Amino acid sequence: MYNLEFENTIMFLNYTIALSDLGTLSNMGVFSLIIINKAGGLIYQREFQAGLRKLSTNDYLVLAGTFHGVHAITRSITPKIPSVQPPSPATSSPSTTTPAASHSYPNPGVPVTGLDYLETDKFRLTCFQTLTGTKFLLFTDPLTGNVDTIVQKIYELYADFVMKNPFYQIEMPVRCEAFDRHLGAWLRGRT
Amino acid sequence: MAAPPRHATMLSISNGDKPAQTQAQSQQGTLPQSPGLRVPSNRKTIYDRHLNRSRNAESSRASFAFLFGEMVTYAQRRVTGIQDLEKRLNEQGYPLGLRLLDLLFYRSTSTSSSALSSSSTSSSPPNRPLRIITLLHLIHGPLWRLLFGRAADALEHSVSPDTPNEYMITDNDPLVNTYISVPREMSMLNCAAFVAGIIEGVCDGCGFETKVSAHNQPTDLWPSRTVFLVRFGDAVMEREKVLERSGVK
Amino acid sequence: MVVYSFYIFDRHAECIYKRRWLPRPTSIVGKSRSEAAPTGLGQTVRSSDDDSKLVFGTVFSLRNMVRKLGGEEDNFVSFTTSQYKLHYYETPTNTKFVMLTDLKSPSMRIALQQIYINLFVEYVVKNPLSPTEHPGGVGVNNELFEESLEQFVVRAV
Repeated sequence: MYNLEFENTIMFLNYTIALSDLGTLSNMGVFSLIIINKAGGLIYQREFQAGLRKLSTNDYLVLAGTFHGVHAITRSITPKIPSVQPPSPATSSPSTTTPAASHSYPNPGVPVTGLDYLETDKFRLTCFQTLTGTKFLLFTDPLTGNVDTIVQKIYELYADFVMKNPFYQIEMPVRCEAFDRHLGAWLRGRT
Repeated sequence: MAAPPRHATMLSISNGDKPAQTQAQSQQGTLPQSPGLRVPSNRKTIYDRHLNRSRNAESSRASFAFLFGEMVTYAQRRVTGIQDLEKRLNEQGYPLGLRLLDLLFYRSTSTSSSALSSSSTSSSPPNRPLRIITLLHLIHGPLWRLLFGRAADALEHSVSPDTPNEYMITDNDPLVNTYISVPREMSMLNCAAFVAGIIEGVCDGCGFETKVSAHNQPTDLWPSRTVFLVRFGDAVMEREKVLERSGVK
Repeated sequence: MVVYSFYIFDRHAECIYKRRWLPRPTSIVGKSRSEAAPTGLGQTVRSSDDDSKLVFGTVFSLRNMVRKLGGEEDNFVSFTTSQYKLHYYETPTNTKFVMLTDLKSPSMRIALQQIYINLFVEYVVKNPLSPTEHPGGVGVNNELFEESLEQFVVRAV
């Protein structure tokens, strides 16, 4: 009697998982995830849902390297707003003031980042760079909301199942079965 | 009955150590360099605290994960193979099991004895387990709760008549393996060998000569399900028969 | 909304027009503007040439990446950092229009298209005095185009 009941619950669990599978496929809209290490090397690539063209492994490596460089450039071309130096009464001649040193950024309170979001007709790319330089690139449907939450959760799972795994070698390709499993399950569980 | 060799060495080490340490502590005023033990300014070391003070204290899962990760990495150095690695992890757990046993007994005597095995006869301080089942219940329940905050998931006896000395303790999701993904080429490895070592230490401490090993038994629902195979030595099985005949519980 | 800069790149990957609108310094009030203006110019003269090359490299790489992933018919529209937003529009003749604005700005895709159709085609392409190619910006930097661009941006702001 007791056993029977237990079996039923398990079947019920499987059933709910299958149901949420169907639901997420239509409205979740996470296409794929790429993780780039701090040297610009591709360490993880996984597709969750069709929507983007498939590339060869080599192309993904090139893409990761290119993006790594572009990301740095987008940061360096940040517009600089010249700010006039505080009036110093002693010097009035323009030659002594060095204008190049005094400028501010458009959003002074916010740290300068590289590319954060990229929009195209077909997808939206969200780039999240950790303080240690690892970049998470999430490709989603342009209409998918709450992308930041998704990226944060992925970072959390990465911190748990990749960085706490004694068999993972730092900066090397991520091959952690538990990470894959939890990532897949979490994305499937979202509706 | 000869005590298991590992147990004996452990005891002799701790016996030899203790006087030396107390000596060092008593000479603290004159000798600032005590061996490896840092004494805070108020002279209250971790050994001065009441043992039950940290009874309900919890430690961070993340810090444990990092510590255990480093232990595995450390054990991996210069190993010859998976079995060697598991042996090392087992050896790291073994002394922990011996020490935990003392703590387990101490804590269950200082409060209600019901915390310990259900088969202990009265409310008097529980005895050291004499029979295999009592011991296994101690591991399955109180030990697991002390270590992981919950009881183990299953306790089984081998059905094969050839191996009556084999028992299995199942944990559906071992805490030590939570964040560990074993590479495919080492798929036989189970880092819960460390926990197996702890079990071995507890059994040895109780006077049961045992070999414990951890095995992967994944199911769809529990991908990191682990079975701890407990194999008691012949002497233990013989004694068990004698105790059964004389009706000792 | 603030427009920081505007670039046109021709099909030879050359920057044929660039323009910067430097916002007034935010920190001080009551400083004479005649003093502020030359400082701003002096700063940009050196770096803007490098900047246009960097901007081209960025949009070129990103456009190729987008085409690779999204297919040939996908278009790179814009990207955002914590500080600015870059808008991109590419004509069928491979002329690229790039605009850097602040983060509050809406999509400037239509605006860039308008600049192409109503200003570039009208005042540069249809101008009989302007050459077909514009090495070094020859022909683009005519008064009519610059003036109307200025007006367009001011109106958009």
